[in-house]
Amino acid sequence: MSEQATALVIDDEKQIRKLLRIVLEENHYRVLESQSGKQGLADIALRRPDVVLLDLGLPDIDGLQVLKKLREWSHVPVLILSVRDGPEDKIAALDAGADDYVTKPFESGELLARLRAIQRRAVLPGDEPFFRAGSLAIDYNARAVTVKGREIKLTPTEYALLRVLAQHAGKVMTHKQLLREVWGPNAEEQSQYLRVYMTHLRKKIESAETGEKLLRTESGIGYRLVSPQQD
Amino acid sequence: MTEDRRPDQESVQPNNQPSRDKIDTRNVPSATRINEFLIAGVSILVVTGIAWLLQRFAGYQTVALLYLLLVVATGLELSRAPVLVVAGLSALLWNFLFVPPRLTFFIGQFHDAMLFVTFFAVALAMGHLTSRLRDKEIAERQRERRTAALYELARQAAFATDLDTGLRAAVNLIESIFAAKAALLLRQSDHTLARVPHSASSLALSEKEKNLATWAFRRRMLAGKFTDTLPDSEALHLPLQGRTAVMGVISVRPNRSFDLTERDLLEAFAVLIGLVLEKNHIIEAFKRAEILEASEHLRRALLESVSHELKTPLAAVQAGIDALSRHMDSDQKGQTTLTEVQLAVRRLHRVINNLLNMTRIESGVIQPKLDWCDLGELAQAAIELSGEGLGEHQIIVEVDRNLPMVKVDQPLLEQCLCNLLLNSVANSPPGTKIIIRGQLRDEQLILSVLDEGKGIRKEDLTRIFDAFYRGADASPGGTGLGLAIVDGFVRAHGGNVRGANRQPRGAEFVITIPVETLAPEIMETFA
Repeated sequence: MSEQATALVIDDEKQIRKLLRIVLEENHYRVLESQSGKQGLADIALRRPDVVLLDLGLPDIDGLQVLKKLREWSHVPVLILSVRDGPEDKIAALDAGADDYVTKPFESGELLARLRAIQRRAVLPGDEPFFRAGSLAIDYNARAVTVKGREIKLTPTEYALLRVLAQHAGKVMTHKQLLREVWGPNAEEQSQYLRVYMTHLRKKIESAETGEKLLRTESGIGYRLVSPQQD
Repeated sequence: MTEDRRPDQESVQPNNQPSRDKIDTRNVPSATRINEFLIAGVSILVVTGIAWLLQRFAGYQTVALLYLLLVVATGLELSRAPVLVVAGLSALLWNFLFVPPRLTFFIGQFHDAMLFVTFFAVALAMGHLTSRLRDKEIAERQRERRTAALYELARQAAFATDLDTGLRAAVNLIESIFAAKAALLLRQSDHTLARVPHSASSLALSEKEKNLATWAFRRRMLAGKFTDTLPDSEALHLPLQGRTAVMGVISVRPNRSFDLTERDLLEAFAVLIGLVLEKNHIIEAFKRAEILEASEHLRRALLESVSHELKTPLAAVQAGIDALSRHMDSDQKGQTTLTEVQLAVRRLHRVINNLLNMTRIESGVIQPKLDWCDLGELAQAAIELSGEGLGEHQIIVEVDRNLPMVKVDQPLLEQCLCNLLLNSVANSPPGTKIIIRGQLRDEQLILSVLDEGKGIRKEDLTRIFDAFYRGADASPGGTGLGLAIVDGFVRAHGGNVRGANRQPRGAEFVITIPVETLAPEIMETFA
């Protein structure tokens, strides 16, 4: 990141805002702070941050509502930073358009890695012809998938699933999102399809010899393909 | 006049709530048949007398009109047979007494013969028409009474402020209309019929009658008196059929026999009472659900707030440690100190999570969200969740890759496996093996964690799953909640977990959960 990125922290806890400022400024972010949902929305509109760290338990409007309102007019990457650790909270936030979810207490290294990942996705044009993560490589034009340079045969559905995960590499895709993207809007409840294909896909691209874990299970939420520079 | 059919009717009514409108469902005329003939005879005699007096001034043709008047009048009051008798008798009497030559049935003049025939025909027709009119009126009145009775029941029972008042009103109404004592047996919360009658009942039931009522309840059929099922019983038992379920039985002990209309009305009563009970049941269920929802909402809010209050400062401490650690790159002592603080924070985080989970279990807000899950994936995710906690132990996953998928709450079971793994790590020497085994047997998912540690002491076997229980030789650092949480999560799935010792050494923990499985054939079709 050549230019200094701006991060907006929306959190009502002063202490958390202060410490996040230290952590983020050390990592070359310019930091803005908002202490309520309404102020946060106004700040995003006026000051155009590059990335938003949003708490869910805000005093005026719930963070989830902030997110929903925000998504009506902005694509700014949003990282949810919350004490709520239930799968249903995470799913709700991710389905409402959050880019990632980190629970409090968090470790700074993890937080920064996730922040970088969602910023990178926001910057990427999205129509890159190649994808690479660890020993996995995808050539979108040739529809070719290789692991350690060896070509892997995938069925059309397996390929579609892998492509969606790769295009959102580093980000958790909820079961619902994956089902919708690969099987269409009518398949949102057919989670068994997804489980079966994920098992097949895993067998094919995570060979025993490399011992690599490319496909991460986010239990009860969805799946994440590790991002190219992570790990 | 002798009331030979329904002697009890009038005598019972007055002593029940005299203020209430009298509701009478009788469908036969007040006079009996013999009485009707008597009345018919007497009125013919009277009319003949009057005619005899009048004919001197009015002529014998005019008195025929008197007889016609009589036919119409009796037709309005009496039933068909006496009216027809009156019509016939009038014709004959008129002919015999008034048409010349008198005191003979012979009719001299042609126009008299015509008059006689016409009179006879008109009288018969009149008698027939008026009695038909009357029948209709009686039927109408019966319908009206039935409607009034049902309306009264609906008004008193269905719109009563509470159920007991309503049922009492219903029993009173049955007593007054049918002159019968009644007992109400209601459906209980476990959907069986109560053996003790509702307090509104006015009739005590013998064991035999109660058994019959239960039969009627189960079969949804009438039983007892007037029916094909044990007709020599004391009472008639009617199931109180609501829209979807039988809500109870009303047992009625009549003092006399009921005709079809009355039984019909009684059945309508039973349906109405059934509906009232069902409505009440639905309202109660609705209220309960509302209360439950409200209390659950409150509990969740409370948990969330506690969780927020505990974790926010912890997050601040964690962020502080991270920031400090970067400033003390070279300071060896400082780094060591920070590492210890870091470990303490992680431990505190774990304890808070355990306490929150335990609270969730104990307040019953845990509801497994079942979804398809691959057992291999589950085991792998549990290992990842345990992370550094596994230390130098060798973890071996024994799950057949061809096992069908199972429907479970994966995050909850992951936490269970993780807790069992950490428990085994704490209780077995570093470098030893820990096995995670997943099997399916008779629609049961069996997840086991087996270690090579010191095993479980005999006296601890039954208590290790109790919250805060720690065995005498427990390794330091635990809260005594890990296994209790496993137990709680597994129970939420409708399963159980138990601990045992292995031969020659080590402990095994076995989770058994009834599950739905996705047949392998279906999985193959996707491939």
